[in-house]
Formats: sequence, C-alpha cells, structure tokens
Amino acid sequence: MFSELNSILNISPDSFTRGEFILVSDRQSDASFLIHHFLSFYLRARCKVCFLGLVQSFCHYSAVSQRLGVSLTQAKEKGQLVFFEGLKECLSVLTPKENNVESEAMNFLRDPTVGLRSLYEFVRSSVIGSGSLEEGAEQWGPSVLLVDDLSVLLSLGVDVGAVLDFSHYCRALVCSQMQGNMVMLVRCNGEEDDDDDGDVVSEVLLKGLTHQCNLSLHVQGLPTGYCKDIHGQMEVCWKTRQGDTPHLQKNLFQYKVYDKGASFFARGTSSAVL
Amino acid sequence: MLSELLQGIESGGFLIIRDSCSYSGRDLLKSFITAALNREEVIHILCFDVSEEELKDGLKPSDTKRLHIHNAYSDPLGWTGHPNFTVQQFSLEDLTNLVKQTSQPKPAVLVIDSLSWILRHKTPPAVCQTLQQLRKGGAVRAVIGLLHTDMHQRGTVGSICHLATSLISVAPGVKGKEAVARVTKRSKSGKVMQDEEIFCITEDFSVTILSKPSHAEHKTNSTEEEQADPTANLTFNLRLSDSELEAKQKLTLPFVFSKEKKTALLHPGPGSGRILYEPDANDDYDQEDPDDDLD
Repeated sequence: MFSELNSILNISPDSFTRGEFILVSDRQSDASFLIHHFLSFYLRARCKVCFLGLVQSFCHYSAVSQRLGVSLTQAKEKGQLVFFEGLKECLSVLTPKENNVESEAMNFLRDPTVGLRSLYEFVRSSVIGSGSLEEGAEQWGPSVLLVDDLSVLLSLGVDVGAVLDFSHYCRALVCSQMQGNMVMLVRCNGEEDDDDDGDVVSEVLLKGLTHQCNLSLHVQGLPTGYCKDIHGQMEVCWKTRQGDTPHLQKNLFQYKVYDKGASFFARGTSSAVL
Repeated sequence: MLSELLQGIESGGFLIIRDSCSYSGRDLLKSFITAALNREEVIHILCFDVSEEELKDGLKPSDTKRLHIHNAYSDPLGWTGHPNFTVQQFSLEDLTNLVKQTSQPKPAVLVIDSLSWILRHKTPPAVCQTLQQLRKGGAVRAVIGLLHTDMHQRGTVGSICHLATSLISVAPGVKGKEAVARVTKRSKSGKVMQDEEIFCITEDFSVTILSKPSHAEHKTNSTEEEQADPTANLTFNLRLSDSELEAKQKLTLPFVFSKEKKTALLHPGPGSGRILYEPDANDDYDQEDPDDDLD
C-alpha cells in the first residue's frame, strides 16, 4: 500500500468511496505496481476481494504482497481473498486430464466467440458468495473485484465487444448492485495518434472503459525520455461529481517505484532535482 | 442555437449529442431531459450505459411522473435470465409497445443513453433503419441520443449522424467547468446552420451560454503573452544602455553584403591586385575535338 497514493486519491483503508470503478491503464509502460497497491489496500481495508490474476502466478503476487505487508496465503485461507489463477486454469482447459475438473471460466479459450459470460458467472459466484454463513466465519466488508489484466484477453482472441460487455456486467454487479469497488488494468502498446491497424483494438477497449469508469489512473513514460530517478508519470482523472457540480478533474504526477513502495510527487519536485 | 434546441425539438426530430473521453455529454443530455420535463413532456429513457440511480441523480423528483426509465443497464444481453430490457429489443415493434404501455395521450420523447451501446451489438444499418422508422412512426415524437464518437469507426458515426436533424458535438473548454458545443441544425427545407458556443451546466442542469468562442480572443491573448518582457526578473543584466544600442546599430556584420562592400568589389581602387590574362593554347581544350583537327 502506497501511502502517498492514498493521500493523492484521498482514500484510506478506513474510508473510501464505494461503488467506484477505477481504471488503471498504461501506454508503453508497466502499471502493474498499482494493481499490487490496490490489492494490499483492499485487503487491509478488510474487504472481500475477488482477484482475477490472468498474467502472473499466485506466487508472484504473494511475493510482492509480502513486501507490502500483506499475506495472500493467509487471506485465501480465511476466505477473504478469492484468487483466480488464470495461468493454471487455462492449462486445465488446454490439456484436460481425467480427474481434472475443467474450469468453466476459461472456456473462451476453446471458442473465443463464446465471449466472457462464464468468466462473469465465476465472478458473480465469488462476489455474491455462498448463501449461508458458517459459524465463526468473519464478516468482511464490501466486495472488490481486481482484474490483471484485460488486454491479455484481447491477445487470447476475445472480441473487444465481449470484453466491454464483461466489464459492463461486472460493473453492474460489483459497483451498482453490491456497492463495492472494481479495479481493472488495461495496457496499450502503441502511440495514441497511430492510425495503424496494429493497436486499434486496445485503443477502442481503453476508450470504452474510460467512458465507463469513475477514476482513471494513466501511467506513461516521461515524454522527455528515460530518467534514472523518475520512472514515469501518472495522470489521475476524477469523473465523480464533487459538490453537485459535474466536474472533470485531472492531475499529473511523477513517480518512482522502490523495493517496498512507490513515491509520487508533483512534476519537477523529484528528490533528485530538489 | 443551443438554447433554441433546449427549448424544444420539432416533431420528427432526431438530436444526437456527440461526446468523447475528454468530456462526457451525459450532463448536457440531462439538461435536455430537465428542459423537456419542465415543458410537461413525457419522456422515455433507454438506459444502457449507466445505472438508473446515476441517471436520475440531480433530476428533480417531482417531475418523475412523466419520466419513464427503462433499465437496460443491469442485464442488456439476457445473461441473468430475467432481463428488464435487452439490446435485442431495440426494434420498432418492441419500442412502440414499450412506449404505448404507459398510455399517455401525448406522443413521448425517446432518450437513448447511449447509442454507442446499441451500435456495438447491432449492425449500423439495422440501427439506422429502426431510428428512421421510429421518427416516422408516430409513437415517438422526437428522439435524443448520446453517441461516444471515439468508440466507433468514422464511417459508423457518419452514418448515424447523417440521420440526425440536429447534432451537438461537445468538447472540453479552456477553463475548468466550461465546454464548447458545435451545433449543426438541418431544417426541413434543407438549409444547414452551424454554430459554436461556450456553455456551462449548473447544478440544476440548466445550461448557461457563456459566449461565442471568438478566435480574436485567442489572438489578443497571444499578443499579450508576447509583450511579456523576458529580460525582467533575472539575476544578470540583459538590457542595453543607449550608447550600447548605438554602437550595436553602427556595427557592420562581417558577411553581410552591404552597399559599401558592393562598390568596393566592383570598382577596385588603386593598389589592389590586377589580374592579367593571356589566353593560352592549352586552355582551349574542346572535349568533342581533343586533337583540334576537326572543322
């Protein structure tokens, strides 16, 4: 959990806006450090977290979270965290064994035109949870859905429309119905003004999700090039109505990622400069 | 022109509000809804993009008797098994039935939030056909739609906008809460009028037209900036005193071809070198006649 980012976004594990869809995106950069932040943040806030880890193994997230002070194994055992390990599940689809129950959630690997309805059903079952609470089970806070990341679904052959439908349904379920939060990571490779066929699909996905989200964190490299002390810039864009007036507020920060955290500062105020 | 449109859309009219990621047109859409409610019109909203609560947020509760919101947000594709309104129901018969269900005497205004959602699931020709049939049909008096232009190809956006009788494209303005609206209005006689206005939306969703964005304003701003003195507030002196200015203007630069230099070169004075040239036979080398024996 990065305390500087918490103060920028004006949230803390004790108080944060509910029903929010936070979109984390990056362009030719790596914004996955923000996913680790939100994972440890919501676990600390005692929320029930459903994490779709499609690009890395459980051990990877566990190791990083350990450095941020949160144990994923413990959270999983207590029932606070439902972890969907995409890499392992897709093996069970691609190489089915007799005693291996094939997970329905990744059935789009066999036929991408089917869409992401089964993945949504998985999310729905883990967010709504089992009907009866066992004795001694802990009461957790609002449900949170984290997805890392959505662009890999495009690489696996899923249509952009299907991914946008999936995020729409997840938002309707998690944010509107359950009044929980949702954080999704989208990655783009090309330049924004490129008209090539290369990356049009992920641009459409990014634009579609930007229309749906409440808060957008966009991570990019510095426009002036590589710098040892500043790893990139992050643009924070709030879409919520503040004080009853429709308002779009944007702020630009620069950041540096450390071993156990990240620091955020206004442009030009890096500790290397001052 | 924006205020004229807010005061009423003519019968059979189709208004499209085009927005993008940088500025959401939903607030302007809500202004149109508020204005229509104030005119005692009946409104049906097909709500795909946002939840019903978010759409109703800010609208006055007393007017909601004439406001019918059809929730297509929670299950537009029928995944849960008991959907309220699916995107497949966007056709002339289903929409006419939906509007007639409320049994109001006056034909209603249909608001679609948003057309982009429908365009993702139905082909543009089908959507255009349905919209055209709705306009001519009679169950609906006018249609207002919100379109996210950056989510579709230009051809798709162009086809839908071609059907519209009025188009408003919104973009963020220079200052915080302002926005720029480019309005295109096509009248029945075939005349097209275009206008550009700066507006801002207040808390109760009424639109305040601020001014026309004059390009002259931009120019005066830039000349003001140019007049800002760069030599002020420095720790070293960049200004010239009068004598220094005079000396600078007197100085002739070495490679500038001034009048004095020209006369000096053209009329060499005494003592300068003279070149005496006597043509040598060896200098007269003709490439086409190297032995000099041809005629």
